[in-house]
Amino acid sequence: MKHLLTTLIAALLLTTGAFAQTSIRGKVSDEHGPLVGVNVFVVGTLDGGITDTLGRFSFKTGKSGEQTVRAILMGYEDFNITADLSKLGELDIRLREKAASIDEVVVTASTFSMGKSYQFKKLDALDVVMSGNSCGDVVAALQVLPGTQKVGEDGKLYVRGGESEECQTFINGMHVLVPYSTNVEGQNQRGRFSPFLFKGMSFSLGGYSGEYGQALSSVLPMETTDVASGDKLGVSASLVDWNVGGTKAFDRSSLSFNLDYIDMGLYNAVLPDRCTWTRPYHKLGGEGQYKLDISSNTTLKTYAGYDLTRVGQRLDDRSLAMTEHNAYGNVTLNTRFGDGYTFFTGAAYSAMVSDVDDALTAGDHYHNFRNEVHLKAELRKTLSGALKLSAGVEDYLRGSEKRYGTVGYDLQYNLFAAHFDANIRITRGLFLNLSSREEYLNRSREWLVMPRATLSYVPNDRFQASLMAGRYSQTAEDDFLAAAKGLRQGLADHAILSLQYSTYKTMVRLEPYYKRYSRLPLLRDGVYTSDGYGYSRGFDLFVEDASLLENLTLTGSYSYNDSERLYRDYAAARTPEYASRHNFRLTAKYAVGKFILGLADSYASGRVYAAGKTPYYNSLDANVTWLAHPKVIVYASLNNVLGRTNVYRIQPDGTQVGATRDRFFYLGIFISLKNNKAYDISNF
Amino acid sequence: MTSRIFNLILLAVALTVATPCVSNAQDAQMGQLIGQSMAKVDASDPATFLTCISELKRIDAMYPEAAAPKYYAALQSLNYSVLNPHAEATEGLLADAATLIAALEKCKDADASNLHTLKGFLYMVRIVQDPAQNGRRYYLDVMANYEKALKINPDNELARDLQQKFFDGMSQATQN
Repeated sequence: MKHLLTTLIAALLLTTGAFAQTSIRGKVSDEHGPLVGVNVFVVGTLDGGITDTLGRFSFKTGKSGEQTVRAILMGYEDFNITADLSKLGELDIRLREKAASIDEVVVTASTFSMGKSYQFKKLDALDVVMSGNSCGDVVAALQVLPGTQKVGEDGKLYVRGGESEECQTFINGMHVLVPYSTNVEGQNQRGRFSPFLFKGMSFSLGGYSGEYGQALSSVLPMETTDVASGDKLGVSASLVDWNVGGTKAFDRSSLSFNLDYIDMGLYNAVLPDRCTWTRPYHKLGGEGQYKLDISSNTTLKTYAGYDLTRVGQRLDDRSLAMTEHNAYGNVTLNTRFGDGYTFFTGAAYSAMVSDVDDALTAGDHYHNFRNEVHLKAELRKTLSGALKLSAGVEDYLRGSEKRYGTVGYDLQYNLFAAHFDANIRITRGLFLNLSSREEYLNRSREWLVMPRATLSYVPNDRFQASLMAGRYSQTAEDDFLAAAKGLRQGLADHAILSLQYSTYKTMVRLEPYYKRYSRLPLLRDGVYTSDGYGYSRGFDLFVEDASLLENLTLTGSYSYNDSERLYRDYAAARTPEYASRHNFRLTAKYAVGKFILGLADSYASGRVYAAGKTPYYNSLDANVTWLAHPKVIVYASLNNVLGRTNVYRIQPDGTQVGATRDRFFYLGIFISLKNNKAYDISNF
Repeated sequence: MTSRIFNLILLAVALTVATPCVSNAQDAQMGQLIGQSMAKVDASDPATFLTCISELKRIDAMYPEAAAPKYYAALQSLNYSVLNPHAEATEGLLADAATLIAALEKCKDADASNLHTLKGFLYMVRIVQDPAQNGRRYYLDVMANYEKALKINPDNELARDLQQKFFDGMSQATQN
């Protein structure tokens, strides 16, 4: 009896214990079906379970009575139910996909961003540079992207039927007046900045928000790297350029320098071209950066660069000699403070002095001095997951002095601008960017108000559709402004549709666009007016794929452009000389062992001149990167492997002008002398 | 190269598990819960990582303002991912880790050195997933984050060991 009683008590205790363990079970799904890996638990405890492949879960909890059961999964809104656990029964939980907040969505329409994040980005600076034959030039590297077009005689960026001047460059938000180094006609003008200066670039082909202005076609904002954490010292050498640079890292700051010397003398001697050089192209450049983390929320960045370029060429009737001094510096301060505010302010100075002897005739002299002060301040605030605001002001003070013989001008003007941007999440997956930019040009005494809007549908991380429209302005070039004081700012109205689909290894983007130009400078009866106009329309297609073969990345881009203008000294509306209707690029990059092989082909249809149409342009380029040692990288490239003689333009007398050499071979070696990192060819 | 990285990651996992997990806990109870959860991890059984991560997220729900549950949840997500770089759950866990790191950056009591260690670790996992493509791309980010972690806290053993082993592994890989 005693034994039975003991057994009964034990059984009762066990049974009571079993009752104390409430069982929770059910299934979790979304609109597409069962969800695996959902974390379902009783809030305030560790009691919970994870759903299986059929979305089912089951667990026991020591809790009883009214409790909250929560289901969480990345990318979905949390599910909560508060009830008496004993009455829950079989739970049927339906999760809703989380609506991305303003800060989480990156609208990529009309923009190619290069940089890194924890998640994959499709392109970074190094990827782009190693595609094709850029030889480390940012501008050349960007020309594999759709929307750009090949203009071989100067190598500058021409975007969607716009002139090169319509594309403006910004470093840390601050304007760069002259982003190219100079050269004689028919030679590529390289960008002045190394791609390795930057941690990110965002090349916008149009439709950009109110923060950026003074660019009718496109903007190229680039952001320099952060405070360095370690010391560096490196050298590089090739047939044409030599470089030394380094960084000293301090506790909360770093100081960097870079010296670069380019001289084509040796190359021209070994591999002569079709020119007679009286002074082979050479450029001496130096850059310095100081970056300071004043606090965890405040960063100061400074950049200063200077380069001196000289080149001389023997022409039929004269010996042309060019000298250019180019200086640029900026200081920016970025700080975050309470309540989610971010404040940015910066100042930049650009100066360029150019002198040319025998510019047009023997014995003449041309002199040009251009300078610009750019001041800017901006305040940003994220008010909620559905609203982000920013507002800013900036001022451009520009001067230009030009002399040619007895004629010339001194030009000075001021342009003030303000902008206001609102990023709004209208509803799940639907976003609207509204902005307005206001500008006042003292020379024409005119205010401009330019509204801009982008409506984006981003239902998931694979698909995006955007519709963009806005008005953009730019002052006319100095020569025109000096000739006609009342010349108004040129205008361009953009309308762009962007469709993008991307997966882990594939991206496809299609962007039709239409641009309408007005108030362009037009010469009529010897006087420049603002009566010029034009249009540019077409579409860009970009495909990138890394799924066909392991370690192989392919990109293809096709751009169709149809544009006409009546501006400058045109007698009638026609297609500008720089515009080609079809541009096609194909690149391949393949990594095998310590080698990275690159192949690129660029095609552009002929361009129309008064004296005829040029033949099509084509260049097949190849390069190889050899990771010889963790501290030694060897890079070689051959431009225009097939040796096609490309024609860039046709003179009024029918003479064809093209490249001075058909092929260009580059062989460089990059060595890290003091660095604990491999693959690091950056001195910054 | 993958196998070498695997080896050092295994070491990292061992170090991580051995690291006192309650040092930054807001209170003893939270620390105890984190300790209990971490103790369930068996490096040879991937499922135990998933269980631990789930529990750490439940602890995070109990202490939403605290940094410690987020830190350990991110760390264990990365540990699982580095051991199972191509498993079905890995991409989700890496996205989770990135979100947790972003949340940690907003935490008042987050340790900046640990934060940079996590960032370096996340880039490192990307390299393990695809060494040929991502080695060159993310190498500098791994190193820069470990350097920052050690600059802030020279006694951060996890950052130091991960940095050294990773550097050794990459150097060997590039010399072969």
